[in-house]
Amino acid sequence: MSVRVLFFGMIAARLGQHECVLPASEGMTLAALVDEVGCADFKPLLLAVNQQQVNDLNIVVKSGDEVAIMPPFAGG
Amino acid sequence: MIMDAVRIQEEDFSIEAEVNALRETSRRIGGIATFLGCARDFSEGRDVFSINFEQYAGMAVQEMSRLREQALKQFNIIDARIIHRITTVHAGDQIVLIVVGAEHRGPAFAACEWMIDTLKKRVPIWKKEVTPEGDSWVTEHP
Repeated sequence: MSVRVLFFGMIAARLGQHECVLPASEGMTLAALVDEVGCADFKPLLLAVNQQQVNDLNIVVKSGDEVAIMPPFAGG
Repeated sequence: MIMDAVRIQEEDFSIEAEVNALRETSRRIGGIATFLGCARDFSEGRDVFSINFEQYAGMAVQEMSRLREQALKQFNIIDARIIHRITTVHAGDQIVLIVVGAEHRGPAFAACEWMIDTLKKRVPIWKKEVTPEGDSWVTEHP
Protein backbone atom coordinates (compact mmCIF):
# COMPACT_ATOMS: atom_id res chain seq x y z
CA MET A 1 0.00 0.00 0.00
CA SER A 2 1.36 3.39 -0.92
CA VAL A 3 0.20 6.99 -0.84
CA ARG A 4 1.41 9.89 -2.99
CA VAL A 5 2.20 12.89 -0.81
CA LEU A 6 2.51 16.39 -2.28
CA PHE A 7 4.14 19.39 -0.59
CA PHE A 8 3.66 23.04 -1.50
CA GLY A 9 5.04 26.50 -0.85
CA MET A 10 7.33 26.97 2.12
CA ILE A 11 6.75 23.37 3.26
CA ALA A 12 8.16 22.03 -0.03
CA ALA A 13 11.02 24.53 0.18
CA ARG A 14 11.97 23.47 3.71
CA LEU A 15 11.68 19.75 2.97
CA GLY A 16 13.57 20.15 -0.30
CA GLN A 17 11.00 18.11 -2.22
CA HIS A 18 7.61 18.58 -3.85
CA GLU A 19 6.39 15.03 -3.53
CA CYS A 20 7.14 11.55 -2.30
CA VAL A 21 5.55 8.12 -2.37
CA LEU A 22 5.01 6.80 1.11
CA PRO A 23 4.61 3.10 1.85
CA ALA A 24 1.68 3.41 4.24
CA SER A 25 0.59 0.87 6.81
CA GLU A 26 -3.00 -0.37 7.04
CA GLY A 27 -5.14 2.05 9.05
CA MET A 28 -2.66 4.94 8.84
CA THR A 29 -4.33 8.23 9.75
CA LEU A 30 -3.55 11.63 8.28
CA ALA A 31 -2.00 12.60 11.62
CA ALA A 32 0.39 9.64 11.42
CA LEU A 33 1.18 10.40 7.78
CA VAL A 34 1.96 14.06 8.55
CA ASP A 35 4.30 12.90 11.32
CA GLU A 36 5.89 10.25 9.11
CA VAL A 37 6.86 12.75 6.40
CA GLY A 38 8.30 15.19 8.93
CA CYS A 39 5.58 17.85 8.74
CA ALA A 40 4.18 17.68 12.28
CA ASP A 41 6.00 20.86 13.28
CA PHE A 42 4.57 22.97 10.45
CA LYS A 43 1.76 25.03 11.90
CA PRO A 44 -0.67 25.97 10.63
CA LEU A 45 -0.94 23.47 7.83
CA LEU A 46 -3.77 22.52 5.53
CA LEU A 47 -4.53 19.08 4.16
CA ALA A 48 -6.28 17.71 1.11
CA VAL A 49 -7.06 14.12 0.17
CA ASN A 50 -7.59 13.51 -3.54
CA GLN A 51 -7.87 17.27 -4.12
CA GLN A 52 -10.57 17.79 -1.47
CA GLN A 53 -9.59 19.87 1.54
CA VAL A 54 -10.13 18.02 4.83
CA ASN A 55 -9.87 19.06 8.47
CA ASP A 56 -10.07 15.70 10.25
CA LEU A 57 -6.64 14.31 11.10
CA ASN A 58 -8.25 10.99 12.03
CA ILE A 59 -9.14 10.20 8.40
CA VAL A 60 -7.57 6.89 7.38
CA VAL A 61 -5.67 7.01 4.11
CA LYS A 62 -6.15 4.37 1.46
CA SER A 63 -3.74 2.91 -1.05
CA GLY A 64 -3.51 5.18 -4.10
CA ASP A 65 -4.68 8.29 -2.27
CA GLU A 66 -3.08 11.63 -3.11
CA VAL A 67 -2.49 13.63 0.06
CA ALA A 68 -1.47 17.29 -0.12
CA ILE A 69 0.28 18.98 2.79
CA MET A 70 -0.04 22.72 2.34
CA PRO A 71 0.74 25.99 4.10
CA PRO A 72 -2.09 28.57 4.33
CA PHE A 73 -3.16 29.81 0.93
CA ALA A 74 -1.95 33.16 -0.37
CA GLY A 75 -3.47 33.64 -3.80
CA GLY A 76 -4.85 36.84 -5.20
CA MET B 1 -12.62 32.45 -29.44
CA ILE B 2 -14.69 31.46 -26.40
CA MET B 3 -12.68 31.71 -23.18
CA ASP B 4 -13.60 29.65 -20.12
CA ALA B 5 -15.17 31.70 -17.32
CA VAL B 6 -12.70 30.21 -14.81
CA ARG B 7 -9.04 29.98 -15.75
CA ILE B 8 -5.53 29.72 -14.34
CA GLN B 9 -2.93 30.81 -16.85
CA GLU B 10 0.60 32.13 -17.21
CA GLU B 11 -0.19 34.78 -19.80
CA ASP B 12 -1.67 38.18 -19.07
CA PHE B 13 -5.39 38.78 -19.51
CA SER B 14 -7.44 41.63 -20.97
CA ILE B 15 -9.99 43.23 -18.65
CA GLU B 16 -11.93 44.50 -21.64
CA ALA B 17 -12.08 41.05 -23.24
CA GLU B 18 -13.30 39.47 -19.99
CA VAL B 19 -15.95 42.17 -19.42
CA ASN B 20 -17.13 41.77 -23.00
CA ALA B 21 -17.27 37.99 -22.62
CA LEU B 22 -19.43 38.45 -19.52
CA ARG B 23 -21.71 40.94 -21.28
CA GLU B 24 -22.21 38.44 -24.11
CA THR B 25 -23.85 35.98 -21.71
CA SER B 26 -26.96 38.07 -21.04
CA ARG B 27 -28.63 41.29 -22.13
CA ARG B 28 -30.20 41.50 -18.66
CA ILE B 29 -26.92 42.56 -17.06
CA GLY B 30 -27.23 46.14 -15.84
CA GLY B 31 -24.23 46.38 -13.51
CA ILE B 32 -20.76 44.88 -13.68
CA ALA B 33 -18.32 44.90 -10.74
CA THR B 34 -14.67 44.01 -11.18
CA PHE B 35 -11.79 43.31 -8.84
CA LEU B 36 -8.28 43.46 -10.24
CA GLY B 37 -5.38 42.32 -8.09
CA CYS B 38 -1.96 43.71 -9.09
CA ALA B 39 1.62 43.14 -7.96
CA ARG B 40 3.05 45.76 -5.57
CA ASP B 41 6.68 46.87 -5.43
CA PHE B 42 6.62 47.13 -1.63
CA SER B 43 5.39 44.72 1.04
CA GLU B 44 6.02 44.18 4.76
CA GLY B 45 8.31 47.21 4.85
CA ARG B 46 10.66 46.18 2.04
CA ASP B 47 11.01 46.42 -1.71
CA VAL B 48 9.67 43.56 -3.79
CA PHE B 49 11.44 42.81 -7.08
CA SER B 50 9.04 40.11 -8.27
CA ILE B 51 6.49 37.55 -7.09
CA ASN B 52 6.48 33.86 -8.03
CA PHE B 53 3.21 31.95 -7.85
CA GLU B 54 2.69 28.26 -7.24
CA GLN B 55 -0.58 26.32 -7.46
CA TYR B 56 -1.91 22.88 -6.64
CA ALA B 57 -2.72 22.07 -10.27
CA GLY B 58 -6.20 20.64 -10.67
CA MET B 59 -7.46 21.49 -7.21
CA ALA B 60 -6.90 25.24 -7.63
CA VAL B 61 -9.02 25.61 -10.76
CA GLN B 62 -11.59 23.18 -9.33
CA GLU B 63 -11.93 25.34 -6.19
CA MET B 64 -12.26 28.48 -8.32
CA SER B 65 -15.07 26.81 -10.30
CA ARG B 66 -16.81 25.84 -7.05
CA LEU B 67 -16.43 29.41 -5.84
CA ARG B 68 -18.11 30.74 -8.99
CA GLU B 69 -20.94 28.19 -8.76
CA GLN B 70 -21.49 29.08 -5.11
CA ALA B 71 -21.57 32.82 -5.89
CA LEU B 72 -24.12 32.23 -8.67
CA LYS B 73 -26.39 30.44 -6.16
CA GLN B 74 -25.76 32.68 -3.17
CA PHE B 75 -26.06 36.13 -4.75
CA ASN B 76 -28.59 37.63 -7.11
CA ILE B 77 -26.13 37.78 -10.00
CA ILE B 78 -26.26 36.65 -13.61
CA ASP B 79 -22.71 35.56 -14.39
CA ALA B 80 -19.15 35.74 -13.06
CA ARG B 81 -15.63 35.12 -14.28
CA ILE B 82 -12.37 34.43 -12.39
CA ILE B 83 -8.92 34.49 -13.96
CA HIS B 84 -5.73 33.98 -11.93
CA ARG B 85 -2.20 34.08 -13.28
CA ILE B 86 0.48 31.61 -12.16
CA THR B 87 3.83 32.91 -13.27
CA THR B 88 6.48 35.42 -12.21
CA VAL B 89 5.05 38.93 -12.02
CA HIS B 90 6.64 42.33 -11.44
CA ALA B 91 5.33 45.57 -9.92
CA GLY B 92 2.20 46.72 -11.67
CA ASP B 93 1.51 43.39 -13.40
CA GLN B 94 -1.98 41.95 -13.26
CA ILE B 95 -2.48 38.88 -11.06
CA VAL B 96 -6.16 38.12 -10.60
CA LEU B 97 -9.40 39.36 -12.12
CA ILE B 98 -12.96 38.82 -10.92
CA VAL B 99 -15.83 40.12 -13.03
CA VAL B 100 -19.43 39.88 -11.82
CA GLY B 101 -22.56 40.85 -13.72
CA ALA B 102 -25.98 41.40 -12.17
CA GLU B 103 -29.17 43.28 -12.94
CA HIS B 104 -28.17 45.88 -10.34
CA ARG B 105 -24.92 47.04 -8.75
CA GLY B 106 -25.58 45.92 -5.15
CA PRO B 107 -25.39 42.15 -5.69
CA ALA B 108 -22.54 42.61 -8.19
CA PHE B 109 -20.40 44.48 -5.65
CA ALA B 110 -21.28 42.07 -2.82
CA ALA B 111 -20.54 38.96 -4.88
CA CYS B 112 -17.28 40.40 -6.20
CA GLU B 113 -16.02 41.16 -2.69
CA TRP B 114 -17.10 37.74 -1.41
CA MET B 115 -15.40 35.97 -4.31
CA ILE B 116 -11.98 37.59 -3.84
CA ASP B 117 -12.13 37.18 -0.04
CA THR B 118 -13.10 33.52 -0.38
CA LEU B 119 -10.57 32.85 -3.15
CA LYS B 120 -7.80 33.92 -0.79
CA LYS B 121 -9.00 31.46 1.87
CA ARG B 122 -9.98 28.48 -0.26
CA VAL B 123 -7.92 28.28 -3.44
CA PRO B 124 -4.55 26.48 -3.13
CA ILE B 125 -2.24 29.13 -4.55
CA TRP B 126 0.92 30.43 -2.88
CA LYS B 127 3.25 33.31 -3.61
CA LYS B 128 6.90 33.94 -2.91
CA GLU B 129 8.21 37.51 -2.93
CA VAL B 130 11.71 38.14 -4.20
CA THR B 131 13.17 40.97 -2.09
CA PRO B 132 16.62 42.52 -1.57
CA GLU B 133 16.89 40.43 1.62
CA GLY B 134 16.08 37.20 -0.22
CA ASP B 135 13.01 35.14 -1.07
CA SER B 136 10.05 35.15 1.29
CA TRP B 137 6.88 33.04 1.18
CA VAL B 138 3.76 35.05 1.84
CA THR B 139 1.77 33.39 4.60
CA GLU B 140 -1.11 35.71 5.30
CA HIS B 141 -4.07 36.62 3.11
CA PRO B 142 -4.96 40.22 4.06
